[in-house]
Amino acid sequence: MRHVIFRVEKERYGLPLSAVREVVVPPEKFTRVPRAPPAITGVMNLRGRVVTVVELRQLLGLPDGATPPSRVVLLDRGRRDLGLLVTDVDGIEAVERVSTAPGKSTPAIRGVARLGGLGVTVLDPEGLDAAVVALFTHSK
Amino acid sequence: MAKRVLVVDDAIFMRNMIKDIFASGGFEVVGEAANGLEAVEKYKELKPDLTTMDIVMPFKSGIEATREIIKHDSSAVVIMCSALGQESLVMEAIEAGASDFIVKPFRAEDVLAVVKKVLGEA
Amino acid sequence: MTMDMSRYLGLFISEATEHLEALGRDLVQLEREGSSSAVDSMFRHAHSVKGMASSMGFEPIAIVAHRVEDLVDAVRQDRGRLDRDLVDLLLSASDTLLAQVRAVAEGRPPDDASALLAQLGVRVTAMTGHAPTATRVAKVTVLKPEGSDNGEDPSSGSSGSGGASGSGSSGTGGASGSGSGSSGSGGASGSGTGSSGSGGASGSGTGSSGSGGAGSTGATPSSTPESGSGGGTSSGTSGSSTPAPDTSSGGTPGPGSQGTTPGNGSQASGAVAPDAPARLTAPETGVGGVREVLGIGAPPSSGNGMASPATPTVLPETLVADLGTALKAASTGVLPDDRATQRWAVRLRISPTCQVPGVRAFLVHKRLTTLGTLVDLRPALEELKAGRIPDGYIQLELETSVGEAGIQSSLKNVAEVDVVSVKLAVAVPVPVVVPTTTAEGGRATGDSSARTVRVRTELLDYFLDTVGELMLATARLREVGKVLPENVRPVLDEGVYRLHTLVKDLHDKVMSARMTPLSLITDRLPRAARDIARRKEREVDLVITGAEIELDRAILDELADPLLHLLRNCIDHGLESPEERIAAKKGPRGRVLVAVKRARDRVILELEDDGRGMNPAKLKAAAVARGLLPPEVATRLTDREAFMLSCLPGVSTAKDITDISGRGVGMDAVKRVVESVGGTLEIDSEPGRGTRFTLRLPLTVAVVHLLLVEVGDEVFGLPIAKVVGATEADGDALSRSRETALLPHGNSLLPVHALDTLVGVPSPGLRGVRPFVVMEGDSGRVALGVDRLLGQEEVVLKPLSRPLDLLPGLSGVTILGSGRPVFILDVPRLLSA
Repeated sequence: MRHVIFRVEKERYGLPLSAVREVVVPPEKFTRVPRAPPAITGVMNLRGRVVTVVELRQLLGLPDGATPPSRVVLLDRGRRDLGLLVTDVDGIEAVERVSTAPGKSTPAIRGVARLGGLGVTVLDPEGLDAAVVALFTHSK
Repeated sequence: MAKRVLVVDDAIFMRNMIKDIFASGGFEVVGEAANGLEAVEKYKELKPDLTTMDIVMPFKSGIEATREIIKHDSSAVVIMCSALGQESLVMEAIEAGASDFIVKPFRAEDVLAVVKKVLGEA
Repeated sequence: MTMDMSRYLGLFISEATEHLEALGRDLVQLEREGSSSAVDSMFRHAHSVKGMASSMGFEPIAIVAHRVEDLVDAVRQDRGRLDRDLVDLLLSASDTLLAQVRAVAEGRPPDDASALLAQLGVRVTAMTGHAPTATRVAKVTVLKPEGSDNGEDPSSGSSGSGGASGSGSSGTGGASGSGSGSSGSGGASGSGTGSSGSGGASGSGTGSSGSGGAGSTGATPSSTPESGSGGGTSSGTSGSSTPAPDTSSGGTPGPGSQGTTPGNGSQASGAVAPDAPARLTAPETGVGGVREVLGIGAPPSSGNGMASPATPTVLPETLVADLGTALKAASTGVLPDDRATQRWAVRLRISPTCQVPGVRAFLVHKRLTTLGTLVDLRPALEELKAGRIPDGYIQLELETSVGEAGIQSSLKNVAEVDVVSVKLAVAVPVPVVVPTTTAEGGRATGDSSARTVRVRTELLDYFLDTVGELMLATARLREVGKVLPENVRPVLDEGVYRLHTLVKDLHDKVMSARMTPLSLITDRLPRAARDIARRKEREVDLVITGAEIELDRAILDELADPLLHLLRNCIDHGLESPEERIAAKKGPRGRVLVAVKRARDRVILELEDDGRGMNPAKLKAAAVARGLLPPEVATRLTDREAFMLSCLPGVSTAKDITDISGRGVGMDAVKRVVESVGGTLEIDSEPGRGTRFTLRLPLTVAVVHLLLVEVGDEVFGLPIAKVVGATEADGDALSRSRETALLPHGNSLLPVHALDTLVGVPSPGLRGVRPFVVMEGDSGRVALGVDRLLGQEEVVLKPLSRPLDLLPGLSGVTILGSGRPVFILDVPRLLSA
């Protein structure tokens, strides 16, 4: 299945192509969301739609890195306009044979696969969605 | 021309059985998918005349996959594979655009009857 | 054709084992870390094993798996139910299942595990509140010779499987012969066709049967006429291929040759169908062939000819009569005016062997609602969905312009449903706009009104969105122009100005195109009132005034269900029985008044009954009992506040969840919908005199007036409607009461809140004189400290999508001319949450 491959720092991640609407450059400034959990970078205006953008690094609980995020991966989630802020997008690749990720599993991670000799963590769009919603429901 | 079918179910067992049923009815099974995500992909790739869709599947449910397939191709013919007790899910799938449904455990003749009926018109 | 299940045995064993092992792992993981993905995957494993085992006919395995599925499902609904004991029970169930599968693998019958089943059953009942449901298991036999199963199981045939028994009712001899024939003739074509005939589902199992024999030969010659009669029932077809001599009637060839006459042909063929034997020769042609011909020869609508033939319960006379009219219509070419909306009385029957009649009926309902407006449905939708359909009969009236042919056509490819009759009901005037209450809205019906074009709601939404983007683009152009050299600016400015005027005009037009009279939804009320009243044995007069007043279409669409709920509420709970009314010295007939008025930029919709009124004490008690309100607070509520308690989830008594358009809508949902479109709901009531619901609605989709304020480097919108005024003061010089600073305003001191702290946005923390906005809060006025006032703006409110709607204190978002998204704050909620 074809996946969009992107990175958070050096770590590679993949999302099924069908789950990604488009990839865009983040705006200079996000509108901050009042009382939102810290992982929420803010909202941006995408051709008249208000898209909530979440920093993938924080959503997955990864350590802080040095490279500023340069892309927003927009998920195709119906009316839920959700974008993932990532370090960079590498391209589209066929990813086969996803196996269960070692270590603790989170619903956002579907598993791991090998791509060109390197590992790639395959994300689960629904799991990501659920993880974002969980940020909001637990923060209260 | 035999009608082309995409079979979606997370169990190989079910897929094989459904495939055999279709083969016995003169259909051509052109693809299989083991979850909703794959189903949507395969559908776009294969453009089958008919898709059988399990409801409970990992990653993306059959209902969600149906919704996406219909969004992609409003004339898609999707038949839900359900079990007794899943009535409300099947109704949800019908709302999402599913054309009909079959009930597990399948009987070949019932399945073919529904499928042929559904395909019975343009 | 019974399947030889033995060849799946190996796969069953390996896959079921995999699932069961995974189930065990999930259980352990679940107990250790309680992750919700584990529950979902457990459910899938149990569900898969159940499905496989039931297909294999391994009843003991299927039942245990089914119970496990039930229990996991219950845990899925409520995680709190998972306890140590349950985990133990589930673990031992998964061990048992594994042992059962192993037994099967070794060629032994699986243990029936009755002790475990009893335990599981008790637990299911305790957790779900009802006894475990039966598990359906295939009656699998080892391979049988093909064809021998014909009619072996009566249920199969009638379920529409065509071939063999389908005919049960009608077909008879021909059927059986054919059935075997079909399978015998074997090959793809033979069988394929056979079952296609299964269209026979409808009752003409006949057709199907015939197929078999004819199969090969019939293929080509038949195709043409087949088109006429339309795919389904081989009926007409039969007549055709074996030309007219068909014993049954001269009727058959008629439609066949007529080719394209829609409904009629069908009718005719349907009519003849019952005397099946003739059909032995029916060509079936294979579905494919038929369809292709259809595609070319006849417009799709004609394809519908299908017309499932009458069920056996219909008297032959009727059939003959129908046939007569059908033929007449066909020959004269006089068909019902296709464009006019007509009301059709449709009678259907769900096949008695259908396993899930509720879902079947729902599918039928869904098909029909895409054709037009369903004005009457018996049994009611909720009953249908629950499968409570006496003898399988469904009656309905449908207003549509697609004609009988269209109705037949929409149902012809639905299995297990017979169309008993389609008759013209009382003619109805053509409404200017046909309500599209179904979610799809995309009806293909035409409208006979000369000056009106019906536009789909989505298209209107699209227009509005696009115009919004045009406005944005114009604003951006103007910004860009500001940095251009002086000499080119006037030209650009002029162009931009003109563009702006045009876009603004277009926006107004789009908005007005969206305006739709309230009658769109109130027209449904009299009928609904009657039905509800009849069911509750009430008598009611419904008076509607002001329905010509217009509202934005999007708002109307949202209001349809709440309005029905309010009406039902009035009749169900508000109005007394005639006897009670007389005892209370009222007329025996209750009265419900729906009055719509326009008040400046709002529409006020009042729905009022003259019934018993609401009891504030009871509402308070209910809210307290459900833990929604501390008793001491309840006692302090005014009556009016108490009435609003009925809008809390759960207080609007669970028994209210009824069949309004298929989903339960409680008072809480009513309030939520009204507020989501920017309106308000008030309730007034007087014991013994009645209850009044007042909805104040905006005319158009949420164009809101905002006061824009700056905090730090963020901008927020405050709804002007809630703003009392603004003032400047030295924040440091304010008097304080404990922690709270107080701002003098008028004669009172208002509590001060710093907006930056409220919204959690860092700001430089201005010292000294700063602006304060005075606003209405839930419990009196408050002053908000901000960094800067930016001015007023009128904006189009966008609703918040997931996950933003989960945040308290935001009422929407909008995009300013600069392209910047700005949140609109719900100050009372910000303060309380």
